[in-house]
Amino acid sequence: MARINQEKCVGCKICQTYCTVDAIGYVDSAEKCEIDPGLCVECYVCLRQKVCPKDAIEPVELDSFYKQFQHVISDPVENHGVTGVTGRGTEEVKTNDVSGRVRRGEVGVCIDMGRPGMGVYLRDAEKVAMACAKAGVELAPAEHTPLAALMTDLATGKLADDCLNFRLLSVIIEGKCREGELSGVLKALKTVEKEIDTVFSLGLILRVDENGMNPTLGCLDELGIAQPHRGKVNVGLGKPLSLA
Amino acid sequence: MTHSLHRSGDIDSQKRDFNWFMYQTKGVNDKNIKDKALEFIAAAEAVGSENWGDVKTGPITQYPSAEIREKISDKSRIRGVFTRREQVVAFLKRIKEKDLGQSVVITGILSEVLPACKEAGVTPHSVNYSLGVWGKKDNLPDDITLSITTMCGHHMIPPKFVKHVMKQVEKRKLTPEAGAIKLANFCYCGIFNQVRCADIIRKATNAL
Repeated sequence: MARINQEKCVGCKICQTYCTVDAIGYVDSAEKCEIDPGLCVECYVCLRQKVCPKDAIEPVELDSFYKQFQHVISDPVENHGVTGVTGRGTEEVKTNDVSGRVRRGEVGVCIDMGRPGMGVYLRDAEKVAMACAKAGVELAPAEHTPLAALMTDLATGKLADDCLNFRLLSVIIEGKCREGELSGVLKALKTVEKEIDTVFSLGLILRVDENGMNPTLGCLDELGIAQPHRGKVNVGLGKPLSLA
Repeated sequence: MTHSLHRSGDIDSQKRDFNWFMYQTKGVNDKNIKDKALEFIAAAEAVGSENWGDVKTGPITQYPSAEIREKISDKSRIRGVFTRREQVVAFLKRIKEKDLGQSVVITGILSEVLPACKEAGVTPHSVNYSLGVWGKKDNLPDDITLSITTMCGHHMIPPKFVKHVMKQVEKRKLTPEAGAIKLANFCYCGIFNQVRCADIIRKATNAL
């Protein structure tokens, strides 16, 4: 992780402006700044942007699997070790024209926990993952999405107990269900969103017709969910093209 | 990662905000990508891509384009920004013609992106639709700050730094454009739309 060298820190507080998750506090008695290890998500913005005029912010060895996981997921420059993908380590719709991961009749569910910018404790990610699994989402395996590496049971979305109090800038819960199950999944998300202490941004991945449409989204109206106006469109130029 | 999908803010403003991406699929077309990446960059620059970059090096707002090109490797992710639908159409036409076989994604307001696909003669394969923010929203930053921070979906832009830049613009120590570049430099991927950001700052601060 990063730490502030107390010998070098002059207590100017400039670094606080650059922390993505407000993890840098000021200790009045010492007149120095300090990083709260319980809040820091290891995004390394303070290090990469070289924000300290006294060079007091220093990297510290990430001495456990979870600390390393925290850093790799929160810092988009890093490649995730298993999926080989940068960012939060998932492919979702980006290569679906080649990978065929989400097929006709299926809905990819892509939940950005902690986003926008709130951060997420893994205990909250577990609640949402378990709610999805219970509602019929088949959660993506570890070779597709990093969070699965922390799951002790992919069928239920249960995470390892000793990771639950780790905080990340964001992490993606990824899986898929049948189109007919989408309504139930959304209902489950409407329930669990009230039980978490953070936010998530929800994406639904669908195969579309030549006009970019899919009637499955009609169920949003019945649930009182606004139709989407933004989308990430895979334009089908990848090869070999998946027709699944 | 869905780092371009969940942008927020005024819809008209978002209509001038598109992201383009080249993607390699692991185990299929992820080797020796540099020449293809250079074709994408050439196509994007030919139509005036306002920002672009490679997460492994950084954005052109911060690094010379020659350096970014030089450092492209198979781990690179090449992507950037357009501010007009016409750019999207011209870019897609050129990439289709080049037939490079890499996955191509355009993110933006669907009522703009889908007609652009049609005009360019490409057929959407799949769409990741944004259903917005759920959960405990009470502690989110204000809407103007979010409209800026969400332009880096990895959230490398600290909300407090947005406030800091706004204050600098209000005090006439920075122009909206210079402030937008400072913010863009936090987004290593090069998908931050500094043109839109300058507009947002200008409106929020009543700067000229």
